[in-house]
Amino acid sequence: MKNVPIDLPIPTEDLVSCVSCGLCLPHCPTYRVTQEESASPRGRIALMKQAHHDGVVDDEFVEFMDTCIQCRGCETACPAGVQFGSMMETTREALATQTRYQPWWARLGYRTLGWQKALRAGSALIALLQRFRLVPQKLGLPSIPIIQRPLVSSGNDVWLFTGCIMDAWMRDTHRAVQRVLESTGAGIAFPDKRANCCGALHVHAGLAPEARRLALRTMQAFPGDAPILVDSAGCGAQLKDYGHLLDSDAAREFSERVLDVHEWLAQRLDDLPEKTGLSPRIVVQDPCHLRHVQRAHESVYQVLGRYVEAVSLDDDGLCCGAGGAYSTFHPQIASDVRDRKIRAIEEIQAEEVASANPGCLLHLRSGGLEVRHPLEIVDGLIKKDE
Amino acid sequence: MVHKSADKKLLSELRSFLGDRARDGDFELGLYAKDGSVLKGDPMIVCLPTSTEEVQQIILACRRYDRPFLARGSGTGLAGGAVPVGDPVVIATAKMNKILDIDIDNRIAWVEPGVLNLDLSRELSPLGFHFAPDPSSQQVCSIGGNVANNSGGPHCLAYGVTSAHVAAIEVVLPDGRVALLGDLTAESPGYDLRGLFIGSEGTMGVATKVAVRLTPNPPEVRTLLLDFADVRDGAAAVSSIIANGLIPAALEMMDQRAIEIVEAFVNAGYPTEADAVLLVELDGLPGGVEHGVEVVRAVANRHQVGSVRVAADDAERALLWKGRKNAFGAVARIKPDYYLHDTVVPRGKLVEVLEKVYQIADAYDLIAVNVFHAGDGNLHPILAYDSEEKGVLERVQAAGRAIVTASIEAGGVLSGEHGIGLEKRDYMGMLFSAHDMATQDLVREAFDPDGFANPLKVLPSGSRCSDSFGQHVPDGAWV
Amino acid sequence: MSRVEDIDQEVLEFAKIVGKSGPVTVVGGRTQWAVGGPPEPGTREVRAPAGIWSHEPEEMTVRCGGGTTLGELSEQLAHHGQMVPFDMPAEATVGGVLAVGHSGLRRLRYGDIRDFVLQIRHVDHTGQIVSSGGPTVKNVSGYDLCRLMVGSLGKFGCIAEVTLRCLPIPAITRWFTGILDPFEVHNQLYRPSSILWDGNRVWVCIEGVLSDVAAQAAIFDFEEVAGPPSLPAGGRLAIEPKGLRTHKQESDQSWIAEVGVGLIHTDLPAAQRHINDVNVSLMEELEERLNPNNRLNPGRQVLI
Repeated sequence: MKNVPIDLPIPTEDLVSCVSCGLCLPHCPTYRVTQEESASPRGRIALMKQAHHDGVVDDEFVEFMDTCIQCRGCETACPAGVQFGSMMETTREALATQTRYQPWWARLGYRTLGWQKALRAGSALIALLQRFRLVPQKLGLPSIPIIQRPLVSSGNDVWLFTGCIMDAWMRDTHRAVQRVLESTGAGIAFPDKRANCCGALHVHAGLAPEARRLALRTMQAFPGDAPILVDSAGCGAQLKDYGHLLDSDAAREFSERVLDVHEWLAQRLDDLPEKTGLSPRIVVQDPCHLRHVQRAHESVYQVLGRYVEAVSLDDDGLCCGAGGAYSTFHPQIASDVRDRKIRAIEEIQAEEVASANPGCLLHLRSGGLEVRHPLEIVDGLIKKDE
Repeated sequence: MVHKSADKKLLSELRSFLGDRARDGDFELGLYAKDGSVLKGDPMIVCLPTSTEEVQQIILACRRYDRPFLARGSGTGLAGGAVPVGDPVVIATAKMNKILDIDIDNRIAWVEPGVLNLDLSRELSPLGFHFAPDPSSQQVCSIGGNVANNSGGPHCLAYGVTSAHVAAIEVVLPDGRVALLGDLTAESPGYDLRGLFIGSEGTMGVATKVAVRLTPNPPEVRTLLLDFADVRDGAAAVSSIIANGLIPAALEMMDQRAIEIVEAFVNAGYPTEADAVLLVELDGLPGGVEHGVEVVRAVANRHQVGSVRVAADDAERALLWKGRKNAFGAVARIKPDYYLHDTVVPRGKLVEVLEKVYQIADAYDLIAVNVFHAGDGNLHPILAYDSEEKGVLERVQAAGRAIVTASIEAGGVLSGEHGIGLEKRDYMGMLFSAHDMATQDLVREAFDPDGFANPLKVLPSGSRCSDSFGQHVPDGAWV
Repeated sequence: MSRVEDIDQEVLEFAKIVGKSGPVTVVGGRTQWAVGGPPEPGTREVRAPAGIWSHEPEEMTVRCGGGTTLGELSEQLAHHGQMVPFDMPAEATVGGVLAVGHSGLRRLRYGDIRDFVLQIRHVDHTGQIVSSGGPTVKNVSGYDLCRLMVGSLGKFGCIAEVTLRCLPIPAITRWFTGILDPFEVHNQLYRPSSILWDGNRVWVCIEGVLSDVAAQAAIFDFEEVAGPPSLPAGGRLAIEPKGLRTHKQESDQSWIAEVGVGLIHTDLPAAQRHINDVNVSLMEELEERLNPNNRLNPGRQVLI
């Protein structure tokens, strides 16, 4: 497409808040692997300014916007506090609503995420194919059970958010998280099927109206005022953002109840079972949505640190390239970004990698690493102690 | 923005060896119109070479089509040195980012120009070395850019600027020949072309490989934060520390407004109620460092210091430095635009010039923030403003000129480390006579008689006899 | 003191003495007179003005005439506990040392002498004064003509006035010696001021506060000595620092090398070093523009 008119509704004061100092560049995963100004936060903001001013965009512009992983590492790095994430979301929403960005098949794909029956049917099909060894191992998918055992609530102290893909593919992780939470004496409630998609991927893709619909539905699944715990950093960031997405008091109250599961545990370290035996050396990958968006990554080290020797990476929390659906649509950049992360991980001699986000976890596994959710690691160590 | 249609022949010739790394898309060109300064230009074509040979071919092609060219590193320069004027081809060296060889026996590393300053030091760190120049932008600025600007940084107070840390440079000259300036010996034969090239802001050619010297990491480092209720006491303490025979590794100052802005970003516990803080770093062998800490404490006490905080560990040290090094960008928290100066004054004149800076800012109804390398008298007054405000640009420029004038009247110079670029070239006459500048131009001409390399930079229009690509900074260059 | 109107009377006088025509050479202390060969017979000899014109201890800078001797300079600076570590004979002049460009024995720690130059005023071939650099400790205003002047043997102008950066004199300066592996010494010590080696014996200069000097010296089996050995009076051979590792096998002459620097002092005259054609052409372009009639130091050769 060429010279397509567009109205980019980003407030001018947000656009000019970037002084183009460039301090974000080394913290941007796509700039790091391409060294292209157009693949940097500073560059993308300059492009938004230009499109905002000229009122037209073309394929070149769309490409530059679409290659952003939305890790928001630039926000942590930005001394001026530029709100890059919301500017990118607004841009993508404008592209999705005003241009042919996001074709019908992509929209259908995102639709499926919140449509439990379709997701289950698709997952069962993958599970079946896995039994016949027809799914390449390099995709890094977990072994998906053909028939899912249901999750069973054990009380009302806290909610545990279940989500879409994670619930379909990695329900055992939820079970492990449940066991760790229960070890502190808490009773866990699971939401009904209205909470089967938080809408994060939709926001990333610019499909905000769909995301708002999913948000309203999700909120209904959590009555009362018990804390809502999330064991997926990406979903947690999204739930915490409902106040902003829906701009309502109810949504803001909801968002305030949301905590990453590690944040909640970090406040109750003394309630967790004692550690016995040796501490394995575990390298922790900070998911962007935990570190740069929720800014809660330290809690993972606090919880994990009780049971293992938790080692952090010396890469300023640079993204691993997963980015929700990003690795599906931009496999090359995603894999280049991942190579960088894998090199950093391999420099540290550790037994295993911990990642508190299912997207990162699967992406790193498909790069050949042994990765588990931090609480799955904790769960294993607690059980041994009993 | 409407671009001139690129010279299609030149573009297709560049594409014949660069492929899609020669660009002329409207959106893409817009990205290379600016660097970290307030100025904006207009590139004609952007090239992203990956080797010396490609840089050479680009320059030869430019010569065939009578096109000037301009090298760009990370685009963080603050004086408009990488702002394209005169419709040049931009040669962005970002993709030339390999560390080619680390030669510990010679204490040298050969790097490509696009290697980022901090990446290099991080790579060297496990071996016990670093690259000493550390501009505030070190996480993103490139070695090529450091060479072009003879960059400094807080630690150049003790270790010296880029020129002292570069042994040799491979350069593609403006006529397309490749030269090696300097060598790995201590006394390279002939005139010091290497020393001349460093700081020439890309007007003598494009650096394609750099041999940097490795500095051993100090066994002991101590970082102190001193706060003062009066900025004058802080400045007096600076002179006094130096006069006591101590050269700290770094000696940085922030005024009250800077402290507030920085603290909002880093939460390092900077005392926001203080009128000024000094960040003092001492490094070396333990005895010398201990002695230094004592001297600093004693001097600080004589100058009514509020408190002396010694960073307990590396993490606290890093946090304090993070605040200092992000100060400029953080200014955007109070106003969307800023204009940063870089004058140097004798240390003894710091207070006098600082007070003038505040008076000037008041007179022009602007906000002045001061974060600077106090140890070497290198002021960085920041004028914060909102370019949407009517008539503000004229006020900012007039205030800038007044600050430069005040600094030079106090016995100072135009630029300590950012360079002259496009921004300050017309101020050169405040420091140099017409004959001084004509001599500088003769020297530049020896490398580039036709003015193809980064036209319209460093020397004011009129003093360059070969300004064939336009005479003045184009109207509206300020953004 | 940076603008044209502030130029000292002595410098203006010197410009008149250099004049506009006729071959001319500046004489300093004649301590390195032979470098680059003697000026052509009949070349008029002039002397740059001498004297320390300003020294502000707080600024750690000193401004003096090019004809000032290092002895006079050191004495003035030492009053305030400061130094400029050029380490050349006391009768050598500041301008002369810079024009030759050779650094002294403590370069390993303090770096090249060119990195101490802040500002130079010279008289060019037209008899006019040219200022370059600036009086402050840090400056990137304009092209770095100061660095070009250092080591140019006066071919680009007669150095009239120099502003230098000073350093504090270290609390302790000690020389040690021992039969050791010099490269190991270089790797183990933190920024020693000098390591000399004759292929057998090592001399090391360590400076700083007493406890540090003692601790550094204790790393090796050193014996304290009064000072460095006397150096062979012939030429200087500069090689890559690591090249010294094999130099011992290659040379049967007596020599003393600066380890970590790669400079070898020998009894033989300095060997000519090759400069490649591209660099020669650039250097000739400079000579053509800055010394078109070769009236400055005719006969002396930087380009051999």
